[in-house]
Amino acid sequence: MRTRTLVQYGALTLGMIGVLAGAPADAAGQTRAEIAEAGRKASPRTAEEAAKFFEEEVAKKTAEATARVYDPTRPHANPSMRTPWGDPDLRGYWLSLSYTPLERPEKFANKPLLTPQEAIEFFVEAVNADAAVDPATVHYDWKEFGMDTWQSPVRPNRRSGLIIDPANGRLPALSPEGEKRRVAAAAAAKIRNPETGVSTLPNLYTRCITGNQGPPRLPFNHDSESQIVQTPGYVIILTQSNNDARIVPLDGRPHLPSQIRTWLGDSRGRWEGNTLVVETTNFHPERVWRGATGDMRLVERFTRVDGDTISYQITVEDPKTWTQPWTAEIPWPRIEPPLFEFACHEQNYGVINVVTGAQIRATEGRPPARGGDN
Amino acid sequence: MRIRCSGVLLSVAVASAALWLTATPMAGQAPAGALFPAYKAAARTTDGKPDLSGVWEALTSANWDILAHSAQPGPHPTLMGAWGAGRGGQSIVEGNEIPYQPWARAKQQENFKNRMVVKVAADPSRFENGDRELQCYRPGVPRANYMPYPFQIFQTPEEILIVYEFKGALRSIHMGSSEGAPGDTWMGWSNGRWDGETLVVDVTGFNGNTWLDRAGNFHSDALHVVERWTPISPYHIRYEATLEDPKVFTRPWKVSFPLYRHVETNAQLVEFNCVPFVEEMMYEPLGLYRSQPRQAK
Repeated sequence: MRTRTLVQYGALTLGMIGVLAGAPADAAGQTRAEIAEAGRKASPRTAEEAAKFFEEEVAKKTAEATARVYDPTRPHANPSMRTPWGDPDLRGYWLSLSYTPLERPEKFANKPLLTPQEAIEFFVEAVNADAAVDPATVHYDWKEFGMDTWQSPVRPNRRSGLIIDPANGRLPALSPEGEKRRVAAAAAAKIRNPETGVSTLPNLYTRCITGNQGPPRLPFNHDSESQIVQTPGYVIILTQSNNDARIVPLDGRPHLPSQIRTWLGDSRGRWEGNTLVVETTNFHPERVWRGATGDMRLVERFTRVDGDTISYQITVEDPKTWTQPWTAEIPWPRIEPPLFEFACHEQNYGVINVVTGAQIRATEGRPPARGGDN
Repeated sequence: MRIRCSGVLLSVAVASAALWLTATPMAGQAPAGALFPAYKAAARTTDGKPDLSGVWEALTSANWDILAHSAQPGPHPTLMGAWGAGRGGQSIVEGNEIPYQPWARAKQQENFKNRMVVKVAADPSRFENGDRELQCYRPGVPRANYMPYPFQIFQTPEEILIVYEFKGALRSIHMGSSEGAPGDTWMGWSNGRWDGETLVVDVTGFNGNTWLDRAGNFHSDALHVVERWTPISPYHIRYEATLEDPKVFTRPWKVSFPLYRHVETNAQLVEFNCVPFVEEMMYEPLGLYRSQPRQAK
């Protein structure tokens, strides 16, 4: 089983990256090559031993993958799994991880669906690329902690990209307003910001305001575990990352008044056959998610397609950002419990390092390091 | 009926709270029948257990001080006036006394003096600071249950989930489990069982960083809490918790107070994500919030 951890590696590691990326060499004047060499010397394993260990693990993982290809064309097994009070049963622990890119790559332009064999080849290639890091210097690498994507129950997917609408598998064009904001943000990212600080970080996860799981939940590379709890009248979605809790009432009550804005949005759910449909609005205007505004309307569809899989579909609508709504589907494999406490803000040493790194860059007149979307 | 309580309570609570105060000279001694004699038993869940589901809130001022305390000005009365002031209130501690070991009593006094110290560091010394609530850290147990914020209970046979409005702090109560805590945490590790009409929760695995109130009352990582949640009417739960911590106290002691159900038809937790509210306080003194970059060396 995949090992997980109680401390906030997210912020911690982002902090390290911030500092490493922020300096041409470290404080002692070492070059990157010298740092790598020091890492090799300090490693309890030789590079050869570590490489062999991980090679065997990768081989085992890719061998298993053949039987685990997600095929969206296969009719849903519709297992009619029900809770004791008769609702479709989504309860359990689920993983949002995928090697399939959000947008369909150019090379698959006319191929929304891969053959199962192609899906496996794509997957094996991705696993090998993911696992290929100098094994003696993996101290800042997820795989040392069993947290790399390939070490999870991630599975191959016949889809060549996660976006299923628009039909070309690409994000729709930005609206004029969205394009204006994108241009402004791109320009801001290039200039030296004299007021670099926590308040200017574009990444809510680095600040521990939210985790890396949206909503909506696009695959991220770590802490992508979640739990769905159901009671009569409610579905609760809990994420490992930052322990974000979304409470979804199913009683048909109206959304909160538009004056109330929240980082996780305000969710209302209903059943359509075996599918849970959750509509989320009232997002905080300062929320950062792929350029969308606080007026984004999100519709998520959760369908238990078999005992071990939920099909998670999202439709994102925000005319202030995109010219049309777009839809993506991510298969969630089932994972073992439990979730752990994720005291992100309490342990957030990382933000200190991230900002220190950013300030050093600003001092040197260099652009900020590239941040993530989440 | 003699009503001693002159404080302002939410209207839903007035009658029962006044009754509770007069009927119970000492915290934690109110038998359910004495308060609501007509009440027989709680509504049942699908598996036949008392149904504690709902949005609940304590109506005490114990978050300021779990012992009896006068009303008090806030820490910055020149700025905050009555907004920042604290209500007076009765003790939620049985006997109005915490059995501290001598060193711990001194430590609590020191904590009180330093209650607003904010320390930010890239190492564990960041926890050597004042009340953690000030920095939007998770409040721990039992404090989460008497903070002035509602929380929602979701009940299943295997797990009872509590989502607290303050910071969205979470607890999963593992029913029928005797598994130990996998590691130390802010909110502890909760194992639950039913004792008749009462949910009994055994909480361990604390990291020792949380306080019990703003007055500096504290515990260590050896804290062991046993909670008892007993529905005493469709709208009230009697909450009791026994705290045991051989590193800090000379004997186990007990807090108790009623929880009130939010009966508004649109009752819903409204996200209180306080992280953005504390960033300037925490990071500006280090020049990390919004500042001029450092000079190049």
